[in-house]
Amino acid sequence: MIPAAGFPNRQRLHFTRASPKPYICGLSLRPPEGYGRGEVNQTNCQEADFAGRSISLLIQPHETAERAGPAVRVEHLSLKYGGQVALDDVSLSIGRGSSFALLGPNGAGKTSLISVLATLREADKGLVEVAGHDLRRASRQVRLSIGMVFQDPSLDDRLSAEENLDFHGRVYGMPGRARADAIDRMLDLVELTGWRETVVRSFSGGMKRRLEIARALMHEPQILFLDEPTVGLDAQTRARIWAYLNRQRCERGLTLLTTTHYIEEVEDADRICIIDKGRIIAEGTPGQLKRELGQSFLHVVAATPADHAALLAAYPGAHAIGAETLAIPAGEEDFVAGFLARFGNRLREMRFEGPTLEGVFLSLTGRVLRDRTDGEREAQRNAGRRAGRR
Amino acid sequence: MNSFLPILRGIHGVWLREIMRATRDKGQLLGGVSRPLIWLLILGVGLNPYFRGEVFGEVRLVLPYSYLQFLFPAVIVLNIMYTSIQFAVSVIWDREFGFLREILVSPMPRWAVLLGKVLGGATAATGHGTLVLILARFADVTLTAPQVAQAIAYMFALSFALTCFGVVLAGKVRSFEGFGVFSNTVILPLYFASSSVFPLDPSLTRTQLVASYPEWLIMLIYANPITYAVDALRGILINFNQFPPQIGFGLVGIGMIGFFLWALRSFGR
Repeated sequence: MIPAAGFPNRQRLHFTRASPKPYICGLSLRPPEGYGRGEVNQTNCQEADFAGRSISLLIQPHETAERAGPAVRVEHLSLKYGGQVALDDVSLSIGRGSSFALLGPNGAGKTSLISVLATLREADKGLVEVAGHDLRRASRQVRLSIGMVFQDPSLDDRLSAEENLDFHGRVYGMPGRARADAIDRMLDLVELTGWRETVVRSFSGGMKRRLEIARALMHEPQILFLDEPTVGLDAQTRARIWAYLNRQRCERGLTLLTTTHYIEEVEDADRICIIDKGRIIAEGTPGQLKRELGQSFLHVVAATPADHAALLAAYPGAHAIGAETLAIPAGEEDFVAGFLARFGNRLREMRFEGPTLEGVFLSLTGRVLRDRTDGEREAQRNAGRRAGRR
Repeated sequence: MNSFLPILRGIHGVWLREIMRATRDKGQLLGGVSRPLIWLLILGVGLNPYFRGEVFGEVRLVLPYSYLQFLFPAVIVLNIMYTSIQFAVSVIWDREFGFLREILVSPMPRWAVLLGKVLGGATAATGHGTLVLILARFADVTLTAPQVAQAIAYMFALSFALTCFGVVLAGKVRSFEGFGVFSNTVILPLYFASSSVFPLDPSLTRTQLVASYPEWLIMLIYANPITYAVDALRGILINFNQFPPQIGFGLVGIGMIGFFLWALRSFGR
């Protein structure tokens, strides 16, 4: 698609995509060395013909090309926390302007990794570079170039929405004029202009979340960390915020690092990194992972406990999901036919699931992503609340 | 040096937040007003007649001041102590409710964050101390403008040192309730064992002092830095010193630097 060498100043590209998105850099585009993703943006995108599913791009070199190195570089990072291994020899590289998702159950080390990248926790071993700055030597530069949306609320709920943003602007050293503009822009983005002077305590969970995202974007960071970002957001707001984030990726090469256990959210990411027990167990584009590691599963509920036991005996590779459901790997093509011939009349429920990221996670760890984490998160939140009250 | 202005803005931001917090906290404000009223108008007025009394025809104490005048600077210090040390609750609050992380990922250096916070707490405490000054006429204390200015400057320095001390305490306490108990067990003994509510007569020799007070209490008072802090403020406001005022100023200065550095060590960990 793109010529590997001899890339001229202006280049017209043609390619097609099955489900076009309004933002060009949502596409899997690999410019040659020296041309970061940030260069492809709406202003230099020409003849975007979404209906005909073809897009012409005009790519021009850009200042950002000079700093086209990775946004985040982690090499052999290890971290112990409370005597337990939180991160174990983690290495990864996140390209500028890309959307990178960390996927894994709670306690997998996602938040630990983000804490290290955000300079909140010091690593025991390993090299970390964020936005081209060494974490140990230039932590101030690192902090200036990152925005952070924490998993748990971190707003001052006795201040108003505006005051929270104003505090952030001041602490990030923004001059008065720029601060006021950014506050207006950000409140408008997250649709909280009407609640400008309302004290945050009276906000709903979703409103607080929106305000936190606005705050993290206010100082125009190069990299945005989103730790379980869209919990509690309605679909409309979620879409609006993602559209804004994608536009920022195109226009100024904003890099997104998301942690989540919502599969639907990472389907759109450029790269996914599956992490469990402090180790990276798989990394690649969503398509790649599904192709290489994805497995079809047959989700079945046996009619009687005896049938359940018989199923387990017949398929030792089956994973139990909840009390009744079994997920049986359905690898071979004629598996379903054979299965039905054997167990067809001993089932209460049956569902076939093609290769999904959920399936990828299941076959890698033997666990379901969502069920587990939701229960644990709830327990953890409650424990946190109790601790706060003590 | 090009990073100096942003840091200054940050310090101002942190300070501003503490001020907003303090002015919106009605409970704290109420305490700041009611405490001096109770101490001065009830304890002070109540004990006033007994202060210069002759006990069985023998004059035990010769001070050219009424009890109200004597107590007045001590009440200011008490108000400052409460507000400064209770300021630690703000630090615990930030830690428990996650706001500390927002500050810690910001590009501001830790010392600047702490400085902003402490300046904010010290400003609030100085405000509460200044509130007491309004009551000066009820305590028969007449103040000139330079006296007031001097007193406010000194109060600010004292507030700064005590606020840093509060941050140090906050680092040692894990919860709000625990801190309430803890702060009372620190503030009140320090206050009472400091010659704040009863005088050590400077005209008496140490042997004579031992005759009127038990030895252990005198030891405590001499060892208590608040003694000298109150004494220095008395010098400014009613022109009465039991000790050279330099001791008080010196201790406050050392406290400002020493406690700030100590607080910096415990802050944000």
